[in-house]
Amino acid sequence: MNNKLDEMQEQKLLQVEHVGVWLAFWGLLLVILVQLVWGSGLLELAGEWCVFMVLSIYLVVGCMKNGIWDRKIPANRKANLWTSLIAAILVGIVTAAVFLVRFHDPERRIFVVVIGVLAAMALTFAATFALLSLFLRIFRRRVVKLENTDPAEPEQE
Amino acid sequence: MGRNIRIKVARAELDMTQKALAEAVGISRQTMNAIEQGEYNPTIRLCRAICRVLGKTLDELFGEENSNEQ
Repeated sequence: MNNKLDEMQEQKLLQVEHVGVWLAFWGLLLVILVQLVWGSGLLELAGEWCVFMVLSIYLVVGCMKNGIWDRKIPANRKANLWTSLIAAILVGIVTAAVFLVRFHDPERRIFVVVIGVLAAMALTFAATFALLSLFLRIFRRRVVKLENTDPAEPEQE
Repeated sequence: MGRNIRIKVARAELDMTQKALAEAVGISRQTMNAIEQGEYNPTIRLCRAICRVLGKTLDELFGEENSNEQ
């Protein structure tokens, strides 16, 4: 089917879709977190989780394929460490909220909650850092490949 | 990005409306207006199409020299 839009309209539509994608992304994440803290079972979250993962995987694969990391965050180990730390803290907050709101038990000793939160944080930190390190490796290889796609092309000064 | 008066002048020389020029190059009047107002930076392909219809060169319509950009 022919494209009915001219190039400016196409750009405007891309901008609208760009905002739509991020609204869907953060909206889904928010819905999943709220349901996680306030009562839904894991099975009831499956639909939202599947859509969220498909969206996330699509974004990651799309960026990797085009040799794009992020607009502002540099592609290096230090940034990955910080990102993993922030992810661990956020997961720690959510885990604490789940413990306190959903599984609130006055009999339970506080150290059980603390150990649970710390374990979730450590696991998230390790998993996020491992995954980001893997992505960084793939990204660097991809950039090298893209930069050397056409060796006959004269280098730009 | 400033207003592009040169397109408007070239269009006036041919007694062409914004709508007629837009139709000739296959875009909407809204986009043509945005180009003249300097609100949209067209691709080189569209610049060339506009030049072809108005019988001007890229330099004459979109070149840096003698530009009316503010």
